Amino acid sequence: MDDLIESLTRGNVTEVKVVLATVILALAIYQLALAAISYGKVRPRFLQSGPATWVHRASGDTVLVLAVLVAIACVSFYGFEDGGAHAVFGCLVLAALAAKVLAVRIGGSSSPLLPWIGIALFALFAATWLTSAGDFLGVG
Amino acid sequence: MRPPSQGAQILGSILVALAIAAIAIAVVTAHFGPTSHAELEAREERVDRRLDAREERAERREERREDAAER
Repeated sequence: MDDLIESLTRGNVTEVKVVLATVILALAIYQLALAAISYGKVRPRFLQSGPATWVHRASGDTVLVLAVLVAIACVSFYGFEDGGAHAVFGCLVLAALAAKVLAVRIGGSSSPLLPWIGIALFALFAATWLTSAGDFLGVG
Repeated sequence: MRPPSQGAQILGSILVALAIAAIAIAVVTAHFGPTSHAELEAREERVDRRLDAREERAERREERREDAAER
């Protein structure tokens, strides 16, 4: 697995991980905005609730795939041992993602838990980014 | 003013998401500096040339100092 990741990233595992994690965080911020429109908390003239919900789901699916890819690269290449807070936040992100998918499947899109899981997920994404990519970029 | 059609709203929102991803990639990549092999090699060559020139200057200075001491 190490060799596959190393060859896919041409030896720049950390750099690729930082780029992907930053894309995830940027899209997560956009997800918050889309969710606010979707729930009718913000009502811009150019975007209605229906389309915002559709794009929120599509973008969320993309974020989910990216997050799982980054997690696989992270765990298989760096392991858990030296992860510290980053490893804990990363595991919580995956747990929150799973909880969000479950909440949608069981309670439907009107589940009252969804906004809270979404906000927790965003906070966990930010914490995970700050303890790794943000640190690497000199932000954290 | 009527809002754009649903299709246009979805397309616009997806384009915004793509733009956000592209900007994030560009900003982080710019932070890392040049990544192409040719650019990195050229940079290494420039550093080597600068170091060689500095060494040469130091040697010449040393020689001049020795000459002055002999005289």
